[in-house]
Amino acid sequence: MINAVLVFNGQGQPRLTKFYTQLETSIQQRLLSEIFALVSNRPSGACNFLPLPPLLAASGTSQSSSEPHNDVPSLVTYRNYATLYFIVISTSTESPLALLDLIQVYVEALDKLFENVCELDLIFNFETLHAALSEMIVGGVVIETNLDRIVAGVKAQGTVAKRPVNESRSTGLGAGLSMGGNFVWPGR
Amino acid sequence: MCVIPVFEKSLYDLIRGLRSHKGNEKEYIQNCLKECRAEIRSQDMDLKATALLKLIYLEMFGHDMSWASFNVLEVMASAKYHQKRVGYLGAIQSFRPDTEVLMLATNLLKKDLTATSTTTIALPIVTLPHVITPSLALSVLPDILPRLSHTNPTIRKKTIVTLYRLALVYPETLRAAWPKIKERLMDRSEDSSVTAAIVNVICELGWRRPHDFLSLAPRLFELLVDSGNNWLAIKLIKLFATLTPLEPRLVRKLLPPLTEIIQTTPAMSLLYECINGIIQGGILGSGEDTAGKEEIASLCVNKLRSMIMVDGDPNLKYVALLAFNKIVDTHPWLVAQQEDVILECIDSADISIRIKALDLVQGMVSSDNLISIVSRLMRQLKLSATIDHKNGANASSSSPGDSDDDDLETTINPTQKATEQLPPLPDDYRADVINRILSMCSQSNYTHITDFEWYIDILTQLVRIAPTPKKTNDVETLPIAGRSGPGDISEKIGNELRNVAVKVQAVRGACLQAAGIISTQLNNDTPTGHPLNSGALGPVTWVIGEYASELDAPEDTLGLLLQLIPRITSAEPLAASLQAAMKVFSLTAGDHLTRWSAEQKSKILLLMARIVHTFEVLTLHPTLEVQERAVEFTELLKLTVEAASAQEASTELVHQDTPLLLTQAIPSLFVGWELKSVAASAQKNVPLPEGLDLDEPINPNLNFLLASAQSQSIPADEVDEFDTYYHQRPAATSIASEPAIARLADERVDAVGSYQQPTEESYLDADIVARRKLERLEKNRDDPFYIQATSSIQRSSTPIHNILQSSNGPDLDVDSIPIMELDLDKLSAGVTHAPTKLSKPSRPKPRQRIVVAADENLGSSGQSTPKNDSENDLGPLASKAARARRLKQSVLGVDSTNIQSLSLEGGTASGAYDPEAQQREEAEMAQAMKEVERLRLEMQRANERIQVAQGVDAAAKTKKKPPTAAAEDEGAEGAEGAKVVKKKKKKEKVASIDEGAGGVEQSTVKPKKKKAKPPAEIE
Repeated sequence: MINAVLVFNGQGQPRLTKFYTQLETSIQQRLLSEIFALVSNRPSGACNFLPLPPLLAASGTSQSSSEPHNDVPSLVTYRNYATLYFIVISTSTESPLALLDLIQVYVEALDKLFENVCELDLIFNFETLHAALSEMIVGGVVIETNLDRIVAGVKAQGTVAKRPVNESRSTGLGAGLSMGGNFVWPGR
Repeated sequence: MCVIPVFEKSLYDLIRGLRSHKGNEKEYIQNCLKECRAEIRSQDMDLKATALLKLIYLEMFGHDMSWASFNVLEVMASAKYHQKRVGYLGAIQSFRPDTEVLMLATNLLKKDLTATSTTTIALPIVTLPHVITPSLALSVLPDILPRLSHTNPTIRKKTIVTLYRLALVYPETLRAAWPKIKERLMDRSEDSSVTAAIVNVICELGWRRPHDFLSLAPRLFELLVDSGNNWLAIKLIKLFATLTPLEPRLVRKLLPPLTEIIQTTPAMSLLYECINGIIQGGILGSGEDTAGKEEIASLCVNKLRSMIMVDGDPNLKYVALLAFNKIVDTHPWLVAQQEDVILECIDSADISIRIKALDLVQGMVSSDNLISIVSRLMRQLKLSATIDHKNGANASSSSPGDSDDDDLETTINPTQKATEQLPPLPDDYRADVINRILSMCSQSNYTHITDFEWYIDILTQLVRIAPTPKKTNDVETLPIAGRSGPGDISEKIGNELRNVAVKVQAVRGACLQAAGIISTQLNNDTPTGHPLNSGALGPVTWVIGEYASELDAPEDTLGLLLQLIPRITSAEPLAASLQAAMKVFSLTAGDHLTRWSAEQKSKILLLMARIVHTFEVLTLHPTLEVQERAVEFTELLKLTVEAASAQEASTELVHQDTPLLLTQAIPSLFVGWELKSVAASAQKNVPLPEGLDLDEPINPNLNFLLASAQSQSIPADEVDEFDTYYHQRPAATSIASEPAIARLADERVDAVGSYQQPTEESYLDADIVARRKLERLEKNRDDPFYIQATSSIQRSSTPIHNILQSSNGPDLDVDSIPIMELDLDKLSAGVTHAPTKLSKPSRPKPRQRIVVAADENLGSSGQSTPKNDSENDLGPLASKAARARRLKQSVLGVDSTNIQSLSLEGGTASGAYDPEAQQREEAEMAQAMKEVERLRLEMQRANERIQVAQGVDAAAKTKKKPPTAAAEDEGAEGAEGAKVVKKKKKKEKVASIDEGAGGVEQSTVKPKKKKAKPPAEIE
């Protein structure tokens, strides 16, 4: 299952945190900063999977590596779009490549909702961010991967607010979307 | 219209403020929090919801909002959807297992679950997985079950997942929900996303209890073939991989579609999961019908191989390694075939790929590839160590110059270049690599090692590049993370050296030499005045002492030890070196054959004076182990000094004996049986002596003794200890200058001689390499087939060499010159071994005949049982419990151990009426009601206390609204709650504890009624 979905920007400021198991706020923050430290140190051309952050590794390696337990988070997948990092922490029962696609779907859904989504949209509408996520993942299990249905589900909850007019626009995530060309597995 | 406070801020304002207060955000946030605290108590629902939304936003940045949980509940109860949504979001983000208001939320959740609007129904469904507890699960189950047949597919699919999460904490859920879920799955007209959600849930349940899902196989198979949905197919394949081991007949059915997918699908993720599924499902290995299987096996492995080989997509590399990691235990030969590409990954610039490759390598190590694998790892470590070193030097001496580094690291090898562009490797990664090197080499009692001298050199090198322990950091991280810090690493290396010295008698001399080198190195490298704290010192000095008889120059070693001792800070190595120094001394002084001449006498006396001088300061050491040894040895030596100075030295005429204390007494302290390695589990095999009662107190008067000891005042000892602590100066250590060659080693560019295998120069320090060369020369001196580099014959043949070199250029690769095949069979037996030396690349390494002592064990088996420790000995139950415990410790882990124990079969027919049980229930219910009442009162009191602090006025206002809202809800909820209780009693026969807990939930109806009173009184 999926244990957590996190979004933060290049400075490590969180934009969305969703933990599918209850966790102390302080531990959440520690995990966040540990993952950010890992993500920000990636060389260019590195793969989209992170080694386990110390907080998770401590519980992961204490048991013999020969018998990996399926309940323990053991996979940290991330993708970078423009100024943002999207992170999914999951157990080994999830398919790593499918998770990459899942993040892609999430971002595409946000793009559709906000029309050319950028970080600013996500800051000011973090409620919509949560809404879109809960259309895709409930309790750590993926329930929907169809873009149109996700967007329809969010829109059914009410109109999606636009970003305030007088806020300056930063670089859109839209650019980031097309960037991921070689990451998109065809025929998803 | 009520007056809108001036300071009211929307979420937009908050964020905008945050962005404009760069620099002093902390202060700004504190102000905002203060405002939110006031606003959230407002009776204006809009204001309340806005404040909550702001709090949720700030919570994301780590600002605790657990204090607002009651207000979260208030907003959740709002009639307006957009406010309700904020409330539920607040619950998801901020409720923790210990949040008490959760009990009060039960009725609200139940009500919203039965709402008419689909968006409203979705809110509690989505929220429940985050806040679920067993008792909450019990009470909402009757309301959530009917939602499985809701007309809206969105509700249905969300409900299915929520039921799964309910089942994790309250397994009985499955008994009620499973038939309905199954029905949904079988329904061919069901919405495709609902089916997908069901499959996802079954996949999650699948590995926990695969037996229950075998019966579904036909339908799942149908979905796999027909659906055309890749997401679904991936999950199905994963599910089948857990089912096939239970039902081998599935394999035959599955292979055709899987092969077809592999060959046709354009989606890489699906292709990968197919291969993974085939591997994991054990489809590759099992028995009969080999031809077809071999075909599919080679198909899979080749696909994986090409995934690693493909450049430009590191993700494929990573997942292929993941897949290999899964098969390495069951099909090591398949993985071993891919050794070349996997080893390539060890040098990858990407640390995630490296770690996965390392995992793999550990499983496929053998005596053939050990050296090449370890040397790769060593080169990595050494490179990162030198980078570290250089960076450190640059930072301290001048400005960090990047160009400088680049100049130094001009390299030829492309893979190496990639490594050097990396930021220096993190310490825990380096420690991890060293750990793996050690475990690879020592695997199954050193079977893979062919050349122990090489291993000893590796260990020597490892001590040098091991990350130095960071004292402050360790203290912080150790208790939390609970794993071995980098400080332990050098100790582990030292232990390895000791193990080799103990187990492999043939290389004991070399070990001793290495131990000498390591301690000299440590002594020289640490600047004077700094304490030595390498963990390697303990075992290393132990080796020196224990095998002192094999030392080349014991007196020099003794001198070294005496230099080391005052500088060691940690107790354990200190105690070991005291013992070692004494052992070496007893060997030098206790020699029978040396004449007790005047010269010898003064030498020994001087030596003893030095030892006493060094040891005396330690007689007040705070650690008992050190103190005891120091005291014993100083006293013993003082006696010996007396005896020795009393004994006349022998002259030309009169022969005098060496004092007996020196020749007999002291050596006899250390002579005994040779130490052998003992298996870790041997202790368990020691028979219990008869009449041993461990519970019996050793001293019946213990309590009295302890009490009297406590009442005694401690004399001025403390002052002495303090005194010695600060006056403990190292005895004028001479700064032996580092050999120049060692300094050169750092500057040298790591040119790699061969691309096949890194040369020793690339990972061993120059001095070690030089020593190895010398040793090799020595070994090959009498070998007529070995051309000595320095011999005069070679020099006389240089003309040809020169010609060759001038025509071929300096970098002629001798290995590339083809060598004529010699037919060995036709040669006479006497000469056969000669030509094999020529064909260097294909020549198998002559395996050294080295005896490695096995661990000794007691008991009938007589075999070593290295695996036989701790957890494996415990029964399956104990290990399960241990696993559960670990899970609780693990961050983000989900404990699903109890769902495995539920049996679905024959469960539903348990509706019999049991009056006794009902009575019990009622009693429990009454008790639970009391408990709830108490809790409610407590909370109310706490709430009032806060409000009193804030001013009674505000309190009266805020309390105004909830009563009316609550009152409206009252009628419906109360009736409903009662109805549910009745239903439950009829239907359920569950464990009484659960029922009790359920009672608590049901009875929360009552407190609400009472809640209406207090505010009324205030008014």
